Amino acid sequence: MQSAQQLINGLMLGGILAFVAVAFTLTIGMLNFLNFTIPALFMLAAMVTWALSASGEHIFALGLPWYAAAAIGIAVAMVASLIIERFTYRYLKAHYGDATEHALPLVSSLGFLIIFEHAVITLWGSDPQRLELPFRDMDLHFAGLIVGIPHLFSLGLAITLVWVLSWLLKRSSIGRALRAIAENPDAATLMGVEVARIVPVVFLVTGMLSALAGILYGFSYSTVTPYIGDAVATDAITGMVLGGLGNVWGAIVGGLLVGLIKVFAISQFGAEIEKIPVWGLLLLILIIRPTGIFGKSRLGRGKF
Amino acid sequence: MNGAELSLAGVCKSFGGLTVIDHLGFTVKRGSRTALIGPNGAGKTTVFNLVSGVYPIDDGTISLDGEDISIVSPAGRIGHGISRSFQNIRLMPHLSTIENVMLGEHWRRPAFSLARGRRAVESVKAALADAGLQTYPGQVVANLPYGIQKRIEVVRALLAEPKILMLDEPAAGLNNAESDDLRALLERVSARGITLLVVEHDMHFVRRLCDHVVVLNFGRLIFEGTPEEVHRDPAVLEAYLGTDARAVQSDNTAKAR
Repeated sequence: MQSAQQLINGLMLGGILAFVAVAFTLTIGMLNFLNFTIPALFMLAAMVTWALSASGEHIFALGLPWYAAAAIGIAVAMVASLIIERFTYRYLKAHYGDATEHALPLVSSLGFLIIFEHAVITLWGSDPQRLELPFRDMDLHFAGLIVGIPHLFSLGLAITLVWVLSWLLKRSSIGRALRAIAENPDAATLMGVEVARIVPVVFLVTGMLSALAGILYGFSYSTVTPYIGDAVATDAITGMVLGGLGNVWGAIVGGLLVGLIKVFAISQFGAEIEKIPVWGLLLLILIIRPTGIFGKSRLGRGKF
Repeated sequence: MNGAELSLAGVCKSFGGLTVIDHLGFTVKRGSRTALIGPNGAGKTTVFNLVSGVYPIDDGTISLDGEDISIVSPAGRIGHGISRSFQNIRLMPHLSTIENVMLGEHWRRPAFSLARGRRAVESVKAALADAGLQTYPGQVVANLPYGIQKRIEVVRALLAEPKILMLDEPAAGLNNAESDDLRALLERVSARGITLLVVEHDMHFVRRLCDHVVVLNFGRLIFEGTPEEVHRDPAVLEAYLGTDARAVQSDNTAKAR
């Protein structure tokens, strides 16, 4: 019974990691860009949701209903993601040709991560804050097991969104243009794909996914801090590598696996070593199977 | 569908200190089938790259039906009716034939439309069938033979509904049968009124397809006229015999055949 509950906890944590892993894998697969601002957007959306919905002395303490605060949190993250696109990917591409050939976007996205963290700390301080949904009982109980409703919702939403996303990538005109950009941005331009107008769509989608993940994380664990992005980032990157770079379904499976490994490692060996199994697994995968569990990554194929 | 007239006037392009195109001017007449020939390194592909917007020009004007398009973006030029293929095939290797071909019509579709609406698929399949490629729509292009990939590029360029179709060495690497099929396809394209501009080394192919020939050497225009006149021009003979005698020789053998 104990381990059945651990299994559920692991899958629930994995559901959130999967969200973030999908955001990572999408920018890597499409743009060959490891976007470190994803954890910043994750944290930003959660903190904005808390600030707007909580009542208190802090700035923007509007006491909005949770759903309005969450919607604004998502919108803020999406706008921030567009700004990041403008100043990391597009600016550097315009100045140095193919931005994907350079480490510059990666480094500048790390810069954005730190700037966002510290902007949030300056606004609202670094203390953990309570973010709670107004419903009284947030858990489902059956057969002695507890399943958190926000967790369950998170997992369901992640799978639904990825299904929609992969359907759009396959079937829509913009999806086909994106896959062409993923294969060869220069040739895509010459075929009439307006890369500069389509790339921001990737950033809007990653902004939305990261923000949803951050808000669901906040509601699931009832706590937000300006540092929640850091912890999630490393786990989500491991999930992404596990599933295969650029593979959105792989990212879901990878995220779930990392969630399980974390929860079981903590229950077996204690919280102090939780990073070791996750990073150990990442290194192991990179050594023995760098393409990830699913071998071929459909989007980033031929790029790594 | 109407063809367009493409004009270059005083076009210059240098890379570093190397002048590749030097005050080049010529006109591709509406509905014509013009060949752009010249020895290796004459600047033929550079002309294509300048016209399709891969590089900006340093000086001069490029105009389509009298409208200056020198500073229009590459995607914008497709909207103006310029469509091209590449000397080195530029298909997306991991997309299927039909997806590659549908990229050609990307610019005239709304961004969120379905890429595979039934009517769109039918029209693309018809275009593939017209080029003799009806058996390949679902296959990933990386696995297809070179000659087929070459023709897929032509179909993709055609789906942009061009007014002028520019083909960079379409017959290179094709066997005789494939080359004849390609020429038949291009003749059907030309019959629809689309202007053709073809870079090609195979003079046999050029003479059978084209009605006008523009010869470049060292980025300058050295001759303009009919395919029959081109062999008799001393400047052309010198350009080829001086640097690439095989082209003339192979042409003469082709003539003898």
